[in-house]
Amino acid sequence: MKRFIFFSTLFALLVFAAPQFIFAAKVGQPAPDFTGTASNNQSYHLADYRGKFVVLEWHNNGCPYTRKHYNSGNMQKLQKQWTAQGVVWFTIISSAPGKQGYIDANGENSYMAKMRAAPTAALLDPAGAIGHSFDAKTTPEMIVINPQGVIIYDGAIDNRPTDDVKDIAGATNYVNLALGQALAGKPIETAATRPYGCSVKYKGSWF
Amino acid sequence: MKNPLEAPRFFSLFVLALLLAPAIGASAASIPHGTVDIVAENQWITPGRQAYFGLNFRLDKGWHIYWLNPGDSGQPPRVEWHLPTGLSAGEIEWPAPQRLGNSTIVDFGYDDAVMLLVSMRASSTVATTEAVQLAGELKVLVCREICIPGKAQVSMALAIKSAPPEVDARSSELFAAARKSLPQKAPRDWEFKVSDQKDSFVLTARLDRQTTRAIFFPLEESQVDNSAPQKFTPDARGFQLTLRKSDQLLKPITRLKGVLEFSANQAYVIDVAISDDHIT
Repeated sequence: MKRFIFFSTLFALLVFAAPQFIFAAKVGQPAPDFTGTASNNQSYHLADYRGKFVVLEWHNNGCPYTRKHYNSGNMQKLQKQWTAQGVVWFTIISSAPGKQGYIDANGENSYMAKMRAAPTAALLDPAGAIGHSFDAKTTPEMIVINPQGVIIYDGAIDNRPTDDVKDIAGATNYVNLALGQALAGKPIETAATRPYGCSVKYKGSWF
Repeated sequence: MKNPLEAPRFFSLFVLALLLAPAIGASAASIPHGTVDIVAENQWITPGRQAYFGLNFRLDKGWHIYWLNPGDSGQPPRVEWHLPTGLSAGEIEWPAPQRLGNSTIVDFGYDDAVMLLVSMRASSTVATTEAVQLAGELKVLVCREICIPGKAQVSMALAIKSAPPEVDARSSELFAAARKSLPQKAPRDWEFKVSDQKDSFVLTARLDRQTTRAIFFPLEESQVDNSAPQKFTPDARGFQLTLRKSDQLLKPITRLKGVLEFSANQAYVIDVAISDDHIT
């Protein structure tokens, strides 16, 4: 059993640790392409959305920081506001099976119905492939991709890194700021911040 | 208590809890997967003097709380003090943290148990009294695989006496250990330089000794990549440490501040100007 654990740990390190520094996406660089299967059973290919702004939202419905933005309705409001303006919004769930936040398609569909969430789609990423390719670290971590496919924002949802709903009012929302400035043809003032929240519960991660 | 056999067990647990209770008067408040209580270093508060108190966290095995810079995720504990007039609390003094995590997500914090020191200053005009209540509202995020936010009211009663302060023997070991774990000011004759080399900061240390290990904990977020391995190269006069820049660092910075740890209980605070030139 010990040996099994040793080899599986080694395997996990080799498979999940090695490539990440090399391929991690950065602000100013092209977003790594992906094809993801959504909870609605459709497949979404990032490259198909050239010409549109795309928002990626890392999600874990058990994480207190995610709950802050869903229980208050803040995230749903952002989803509705921006998709109404033609922005594509993917909620991405990179929790591995057995880890907090892992959910199957049916579970996610009923969660979204209950919460009145309104992203373009919720992509299920239990192997963590999309998460690792963007080096997503927390839930909620937010990434904005411009119509040319370049990452123009990566980081926190706002400037109040707490799990307290009371901190939403009056916070500077970095997603609104980045999309607002980009749509107005202005340079992005704050293009990268430290994402706050729970760590993404990847396969092979400790916590 | 329906089962009479439960009573003795309950009683012995109660006795055990009393025996394990913190050294000083206050009772421990519960937080997710642990407890926290205030511990006083001195037996009473003396007007015109500064005294130290500890926020003593005990967590279930494997659970942790966070340093001032929590790293890639997490949040440091915060306390809002409610103190009688004439008493004022200083900032938390943070022990050198541990690196928590093993892959692309690395946090900075404390596993299992930690005592955070807080100084409190009593004005010289504060009235002596049998007991004042020192109370604080604590918000803390406790994590293992998952994170649970907690709130606790911590409080303790202590006398204010005009006599010079006397330490409380019951807490002296806790305070000795907590002070050892604090990062120290680096000796004056040590030299540090940081050069900006494209994707990395290279920290060069000139010390009066050789070290076999050094880990840097950045005080500010978004400067250094928390999960990247720190390349340590010792030499006769010290060492070089290569720190990969954070992806979130888009504008140049002028100083690198943080804690440099050589071994357990041997850590130093550094604040170094960043230069473009290489040093030899």
